[in-house]
Amino acid sequence: MRISTANAYDTGIDSLSRRQADLSDLQAQMTSGKRVAKASDDPAAAARAERALASISRTETSQRAVDASKVVMTQTESSLGTAGDLMQSARELMVAAGNATYGDSERASIAAQLKSIRDQLFVVANSSDGAGTYLFGGQGSTQKPFVDAPGGVQYAATGGQTRTEAGTNLPLTSDGQASWLSARTGNGVFVTSAAPGVATATIDSGIVSDPSALTGADYALKFTVSGGVTTYAVLKNGLPTAVTAAPYVSGQSIVVDGMTVAVSGAPANGDQFQLAPSTPTLSVFDTLDKAITGLQTSGRTTSQIAQATGDNLRDVDSVMGTLQTARAAAGAVLNRIDSESSRLDTQKLASTTERSNAEDVDMVHAISDFQNKQSGYDAALKSYALVQRLSLFQYVNG
Amino acid sequence: MSISSLLSIGSRAMTASYAQLTVTGNNIANANTVGYSRQNAELQTAFSQQTGSGFFGKGVNVATVTRAHDDFLTREASMTSSIAAGDAARSTQLRQMENVFQTGEAGLGYSAQRLFNAFVDVANKPQDSSARQTALARVGDLADRFSTASGQLDSLQTGVAEQLRTSVGSINSLTTQIASLNRQIANVQGTGHAPNDLLDQRDTAISNLSQLAQVTTVPAADGSVGVFLGGSQQLVLGGNATALAAVPDAFDPGKTQIGITTGGVTRAFPDGFIAGGSVSGLLRFQNHDLADARGLLGQLASAIAGQLNSQQALGLDLGTPAAAGAPLLSIGVPLVLPSSANAMSGGVPVASYVNGSGVRVSSVSLTTVDSKSLQPSDYELTADPSLPAGRYKLTRLSDGTTSTVANGSVVDGFRIDVAAPTPAAGDRFLLEPVSNSTRNMARALDDPKGIAAASPVAATTNVANTGTATVASLAAVSPSINPNLTATITFTDNLGNYSYSLVDTTGALPTVNGTGSFVAGQPIALNGFALQLNGVPKTSDSLVVAKTAFPASDNGNANALLGLRDAAIVGQQTLGGGAIVPGMNVTDAYASALGTIGVRVQSGKAAADQSASIATDAKTAVAEKSGVNLDEEAARLIQYQQSYQAAAKMLQIAQSLFDSVLQIGR
Repeated sequence: MRISTANAYDTGIDSLSRRQADLSDLQAQMTSGKRVAKASDDPAAAARAERALASISRTETSQRAVDASKVVMTQTESSLGTAGDLMQSARELMVAAGNATYGDSERASIAAQLKSIRDQLFVVANSSDGAGTYLFGGQGSTQKPFVDAPGGVQYAATGGQTRTEAGTNLPLTSDGQASWLSARTGNGVFVTSAAPGVATATIDSGIVSDPSALTGADYALKFTVSGGVTTYAVLKNGLPTAVTAAPYVSGQSIVVDGMTVAVSGAPANGDQFQLAPSTPTLSVFDTLDKAITGLQTSGRTTSQIAQATGDNLRDVDSVMGTLQTARAAAGAVLNRIDSESSRLDTQKLASTTERSNAEDVDMVHAISDFQNKQSGYDAALKSYALVQRLSLFQYVNG
Repeated sequence: MSISSLLSIGSRAMTASYAQLTVTGNNIANANTVGYSRQNAELQTAFSQQTGSGFFGKGVNVATVTRAHDDFLTREASMTSSIAAGDAARSTQLRQMENVFQTGEAGLGYSAQRLFNAFVDVANKPQDSSARQTALARVGDLADRFSTASGQLDSLQTGVAEQLRTSVGSINSLTTQIASLNRQIANVQGTGHAPNDLLDQRDTAISNLSQLAQVTTVPAADGSVGVFLGGSQQLVLGGNATALAAVPDAFDPGKTQIGITTGGVTRAFPDGFIAGGSVSGLLRFQNHDLADARGLLGQLASAIAGQLNSQQALGLDLGTPAAAGAPLLSIGVPLVLPSSANAMSGGVPVASYVNGSGVRVSSVSLTTVDSKSLQPSDYELTADPSLPAGRYKLTRLSDGTTSTVANGSVVDGFRIDVAAPTPAAGDRFLLEPVSNSTRNMARALDDPKGIAAASPVAATTNVANTGTATVASLAAVSPSINPNLTATITFTDNLGNYSYSLVDTTGALPTVNGTGSFVAGQPIALNGFALQLNGVPKTSDSLVVAKTAFPASDNGNANALLGLRDAAIVGQQTLGGGAIVPGMNVTDAYASALGTIGVRVQSGKAAADQSASIATDAKTAVAEKSGVNLDEEAARLIQYQQSYQAAAKMLQIAQSLFDSVLQIGR
């Protein structure tokens, strides 16, 4: 085989420069730490890295949503805690107001204290996160969500919750309507009340004795005193029932279609007590307003005071229960936020690892490769220099 | 037999050796000359002289000087280097194009992700104008990246067109040179000796021409060669060369094609006519790779802009009063490019008319109707005379599928409208539903208040509900939604059956009542909204979907905009039977585009490497045959020098013999 000298030089230079390019590529990979700098380096890995990167930025985004919810829910939880404490004080005041030795003036002073608690609660209910979001703003409001209107406190926002995107679905506000204005009236199933004018008897808040017998109708207990004998009749939706003249014993249970109530004292002729189905309409503010109005009313009988105190404590317990539930819900959300955060951290780590696996250089491998190629280049240079030095002309002398 | 014959033999031998030394010297001198073939002085014995004692040789003659040459190897080397040049040219361009499809944080996919993700802050605080400003900045960033990418593709196109024009110039100069060499070679044909250097020059010129465009050669009896392009188009015949021309593409004048001018008419060669050489690589890159890249980018841009704008239009902005969102992104319109060969009448194309603004436009127009069904391809519409009137043949260029369409047909997410005057038979149009969209892509909204973060309707569950149903999501899904309608949904049993009423709060429309059934996981769709519930509703539970009272603090549509990052909004396909193949989300679509381009660059590079190594082998084979080996020439130098010395010795002896004879006579 003949070898063309010029071609041999060309080929030698070609292969040297190819080896040099290989080395330079490998060095670029080692300095950047990336095995895949362009899609063509490894199209499948590039696509994998791209998806992992999207997943990283996705989890970062979800984390922002989680953080936003966390700020609001932490404040909501603490606001509801404050509200609970205030309600507890209000309850103690109401218990005190029931003290039989108190006169109208003592009660008026308690009313003033309750008024101050009510105002504090109103501020708590309208608290914001300091950045324009009302904690109890529901699905939105431009002004404060609770408005002190003539007929009592109104909810001026849309109920429900503003939530983060579907992936995290965490609340960004809480529903003020549900937590502040929607406690169940009465004992939760039915409401007992004395008709206006009842002055010598009281009715307790009652219990459900047979849930299967409940009808959901409005009932009335109508008392008749005739010849020193007190009897009562049960009316259902205003119509007479089978019970028309049952004998009355103070404090004894009266059972009406699954509901058990007790009337105490000496009802006057014509006195009426109502039993109505409970509704989710009891407001924190209405409860306090009613108690304050009651305490400010002078000249009530002992029975009226006892009835009012009993009713008020029943209502306060109900609204406190609702506030507690809302606080527990906020706590549960905070728990979920913690687990969501750690889930997002894990996911981000997994995606980061995935990205790194797809496109980063394995340094051990790369260094060993580099040394291998370096020795190859070294050998090529040496042999090139040796071979090209050989020429017959060196041996031909003149 | 005389003494003079010895003298004559000696002097012939000296001449022959001297000639051989000259040729060897020439070989050494040209050892590094490109295209030089090693030469050899061919010797032959001079005719012997018959005497009574037999035949006596009369010495040596120099017959001619030949070159070491193998036609087959030379042709092989030309052809392989031609293919290598084509692959290398395409690979170089592809590698530049790859820069448009960056990976990681520099890429378009990341930018699109970041745009969608920016809406999380808007959703967290819809009234916060800094979050809105950030989202708008991301929209602007994406638009900039797309239009930069488009600009890069444009400049690649400009570069390719420029290179093609330069190549045409070089091809024409080489063919002229070959023609002139043909004439010179034919002129010396009669001498009986091969004009080695002219032949070498012609071979080199043909090899150089092959680098630009693959040609075939046919030798003629007069020593000239005919050079043909694509097997049939004559470039050089004898002493005549035919010039090529760089011509603008029939559809898109920005593209350049190669053609030939005959009889005053310039006609472009069909696609793929030139099989090898850098010109073929450039043409393939321009006509296929660049068009595909534009399609992929355009599809992504159209899908993102289309879905983003239509979702934005479903929401309410922060204006007073709150209004439907204005578009966020503006993109280039779908283009119709009529062929320059279409029928003309009175100097204007038949299929065109003057529109209301006094501009002459093509009768064929395109409108995007469903951005998520757009495919990454251009289309060719042909008024095929074999089809009934009003029917046209549509070819999708990416895969060659054809269909028959008419005025108003919707194909792959766009509608084709053919107005009067309709195209003449044989007219052709290039349709670009997506390729133009990245040009001049820009953010269309500048006011942060314009982001439609609020949903037009809001759902509230009744606080007296006894079931566990809560609102999972409520989204406006159709522009036909009427926010003034208040929908009240009341469940009539524990199985999910419900009755609803739609009451117009303005009193303009009559109340609509109806019933439906809720199935877990499927939305309740009424009045253009879709309501998803979590949990189980119980009988007499109710919920109300009413006009959003406070759009400033509602984030329903911002969440929907954020949700587009996971929505399959790119490249949905409808199969022949009406079955729908869902598209991809933006990340997957970009990753897949990245993969497509990556594989193409990789295979382009592999093809270039492979053909380069084949070409090198072929070149080495030629070099082995024709190249100069200096060691060999050194050996020959010694050999011929010795021959020369021996011949000289012969003369010396002849002279001394002559002297001896003269001595006798003295």
